[in-house]
Amino acid sequence: MSRSPLARSGAAAGATAIALLALTACGSSGGAAADGRPLVTVKLTDQGCEPDVTSVPAGPVGFKVVNTGTSRISEAELLKGSRILGERENVAAGLSASFSLSLEAGTYQLYCPGGKGPEKVDFTVTGAAPTVATTGAAALQQASADYATYVKQQVAQLVTTTRKLTDAVRGGNVAAAKQAYAPARVYYERIEPVAESFGDLDPDIDAREGDVDDLSKWGGFHRLEKALWVDGSTSGMAPIADGLDTNVAKLNTLVQTETFQPAAIANGATALLDEVGQSKITGEEENYSHIDLVDFVANVDGAQQAFAVLEPALQQIKPSLAATVDQRFQALKAALDKFHTGSTASDYANYSTVTEPQRRALSQLVDALAEPLSQVAGTVVS
Amino acid sequence: MAEMVDRVGARDAAEVATGRGLSRRGFLTALGVAGVAAGGGLSLAGCDSSSGAAAQPGAAIDPYGDHQTGIATPAQDRLVFAAFDVTSKRRADLVAMLEAWSKAIPVMMAGKPLADVESNPQLPPEDTGEAEGLAAANLTVTVGFGPSLFDGRFGLASRRPAALAPIPPLPGDNLNVLISNGDLCVQACADDPQVAFHAVRNLRRIAQGTAVLRWTQLGFGKTSSTSTAQATPRNLMGFKDGTNNIKGEQSTVLDKQVWVGTETDQQWMRGGSYLVTRRIAMRLEAWDRDFLADQEKTFGRVKDTGAPLGEKGEFDTVPLAAKNPDGTLVIDQDAHIRLASPETNGGHKLLRRGYSYTDGVIAETGQLDAGLFFIVFQQDPRRQFVPIQRKLGSSDLLNEYIQHTSSALFACPPGFRQGEMIGAALFA
Repeated sequence: MSRSPLARSGAAAGATAIALLALTACGSSGGAAADGRPLVTVKLTDQGCEPDVTSVPAGPVGFKVVNTGTSRISEAELLKGSRILGERENVAAGLSASFSLSLEAGTYQLYCPGGKGPEKVDFTVTGAAPTVATTGAAALQQASADYATYVKQQVAQLVTTTRKLTDAVRGGNVAAAKQAYAPARVYYERIEPVAESFGDLDPDIDAREGDVDDLSKWGGFHRLEKALWVDGSTSGMAPIADGLDTNVAKLNTLVQTETFQPAAIANGATALLDEVGQSKITGEEENYSHIDLVDFVANVDGAQQAFAVLEPALQQIKPSLAATVDQRFQALKAALDKFHTGSTASDYANYSTVTEPQRRALSQLVDALAEPLSQVAGTVVS
Repeated sequence: MAEMVDRVGARDAAEVATGRGLSRRGFLTALGVAGVAAGGGLSLAGCDSSSGAAAQPGAAIDPYGDHQTGIATPAQDRLVFAAFDVTSKRRADLVAMLEAWSKAIPVMMAGKPLADVESNPQLPPEDTGEAEGLAAANLTVTVGFGPSLFDGRFGLASRRPAALAPIPPLPGDNLNVLISNGDLCVQACADDPQVAFHAVRNLRRIAQGTAVLRWTQLGFGKTSSTSTAQATPRNLMGFKDGTNNIKGEQSTVLDKQVWVGTETDQQWMRGGSYLVTRRIAMRLEAWDRDFLADQEKTFGRVKDTGAPLGEKGEFDTVPLAAKNPDGTLVIDQDAHIRLASPETNGGHKLLRRGYSYTDGVIAETGQLDAGLFFIVFQQDPRRQFVPIQRKLGSSDLLNEYIQHTSSALFACPPGFRQGEMIGAALFA
C-alpha cells in the first residue's frame, strides 16, 4: 500500500510501438494466417520450444503456441534481449493459444522456460534493418509505449484469471478457487505500482487484514485468501468476489488510456523490488496461503520488464549501468529458479518451506539489484 | 564491471569532464577536501601511528600513511564494526569495490559527504546524509581481509600469510558462527557514533552486489587507552583493564609487537597488522553480586584506583612475586592481571582496542546482553593472541563471569597513499 511512483501525467506516449499485441486467436493454414501474414507454430515439448520456422520477413507475424502433451512447459515468449514482446502462459497439455506481433528486422529469441533442452531458440526476422533510434529521446518515447503495452497485457490476463477465481468462489468450489488464486496474483503483482497510482484501487484489490479499520469493509484478494485457507469455506464470499471483479475491470479500463513517463517506469521497477523486501521476504503478503514466492517472482518479473523497456535508451546513455542491472536480474532469477516447482508462473515452493538463510540470501540479491536499479530513473531523464 | 565504480566519490575523471556524472559538484568538493587533507593543509591530530598525541574532539585524521589508521590512533569513544562476505565470484568486482572504498574512506574521514545531498532530484542521494553537519569526529576506517578470502575464489590462495591461520578452538569458547569470521572487515571508530555508523553504512552501500554484511557490532564505549595522553577507561565490570596496554607513542614496541615486519612470508603485509575480535559476554548480574575482595582478587587490581593489589598507583609495577605474611601470593595465581601480563607470556603483548557493547536483553534469561567487544592488533596471532588466550581460557578467575561468543581474524594491510587502493599490493 505504498505510495506509487507512477504519478500520472498528461504527456502523450510515443506512438511508434513495434510490438502492439493483440491476444486474438489466429487461423492456422500451413504457415500463413487467413489475412496472409506468416503464422509461426510453436510446439511445446518436454525439450522446450519447437517452432516450425525460425525466420520470417519483417511485418505482422502470428504465433500459435501448441502444447503437444508436455507437463514441463506451459509458456512461450518472444524476447528481444530480456524484453518480452509477446507471450502466452498457462498453455497446459492439449491446449493452444495465439498472439500476434508486428516485428522489425532483427534477432529475437523464443523462450519456453522449464524444458530439458535449450530454453531459448533464436528467431530471425529478415528485411531491411529498421531505422535505429539515434537519440535517447526517441528510445524513451518507445519505452513509454512499450510499457503501456505490457501493462495492458498483464491487466487483460488479470481480468481473465481473476474471473476463474471468482467464478469458483461464487460456485462454492473451495478446491478450484484455491487452484485459481495464485495464477491471478501473478498478474496483479507484476504491475502493482500502476494499480497503486489509482488511489483506492490498490487497497480495494489488495488490502491485507491489518490494513483496514473496519473489517466488515475488507474485500479483495486477501479476504478471499483467508476464506479459502483459514475458513476453508466460500460462505458469504460471493459479494467479495463480485467486488473484486468490478475493481479489476475498473483497473483494466483505467490502464487503457494510461501513459507512463520513463522516470516513473524506472521508479516503478524499484518500487516493485521494495515491495519484495517489505512484504514478500517477511512472508506477510500471503499470510494464509504462503504463496509469497509467486508474488515475489511476479514483482521481479514486473520490475525486469519495466527495466527492459528502458534498456535501449539506457544503453545509449550509460551502458555500464544497463549491464550491471541486467547481470543482477539474472543472478536473482537464477536463485529464484531453484524454488520453481512446476512449469507455470504460479508453481513455486510454499514460503513456509524456505529457510531463514535462504530468505536472507534472496533478500541480499534483491538489495544488490535494487541499488543500481534505483540509479536508472535519474540517469534516463537527466 | 560493477556499477559501484561509478558511484560514491569514485567517478572517473572522463565522466566528470563530460558533465554526464550527476552530483559532480559534491564529488569535486569532496575530492578537493581530501586533497587538502593529504597535502597537510588541515590540522591533523593523532594521525601518525608514531605520534599518538591526544586527538582534538571533532578533528580529522590523516587517512594516508605507512600504516592504516584505527590501530595506533588514540582510541576514539565509539565503534561500529562490520564483517562482510564477498558474494561476487569475480576478482574484478572485489578490486573495484576496494578501489571505491579507498576513495570514499578519505572523504568521510575528512568529515565530508560523498556528494551533495541536494543534487539530482531523480536520483537517490549518493551520500546517505546522516553525518551532514557533524564533525569529522576523529573517524578512522580500518579494512582487513579474513582467512576465507584466500580460499581460491579470487586467486589469492598462494598469498595467504602463515600468520593468518584460522584461530583454533580455545578453552571455554562458545562461539556463534553467525557472528564470527568473515571475508572482509571494516572497523569504524569515531568520537560520534553516528559518524562511525555513517561510514559503515555507506561502505556497505558501495558493496551492494559484490559483498554482503555478515555481522556487525556496535561498541558504545572504549575500554582501552592507546595513548599516554588518555586515561585508562573502565570496562563494564567497573575495573580499569589494560593499564599496561601498548601505546601509540611506543614506536619500538609497535614495531616489535604490532606491525608486520621482515619476518612475514607475504611481503604485501609489511606494515600491516593482524586484528582479532572476540565478543566477550559478561554475566553482569552474577558479577554485580560478587563481594568486592573477590572482584579485586579476580582482576588483581584495586577497583577504585586501578592500582595492582599491594601497590599504590595504577601504573606501579605489578608485584607478581609478592607474598602476603601467610605466604600466599598477593596477586592470585589465576588473577587476570597475572595471566595476561607479558612476564607470564614470554614478553608478548597485544595492542588492545576493545569497546563495551550491549545488545539488549537475552531472550532466554532476561539478563543483560552486554560485555566487551575485544579487539587486539598484533604482529602474529600464533605467537600472541592464541597462546595468551589459551592460558586465560583455561584458568583465568574471570572465566566464572565471562564467555567468548564470537571470534574473527583479519589481516589488515599496510596504509595507503592518495590515489592508491587499500591492500593494492595483495592484488598486484
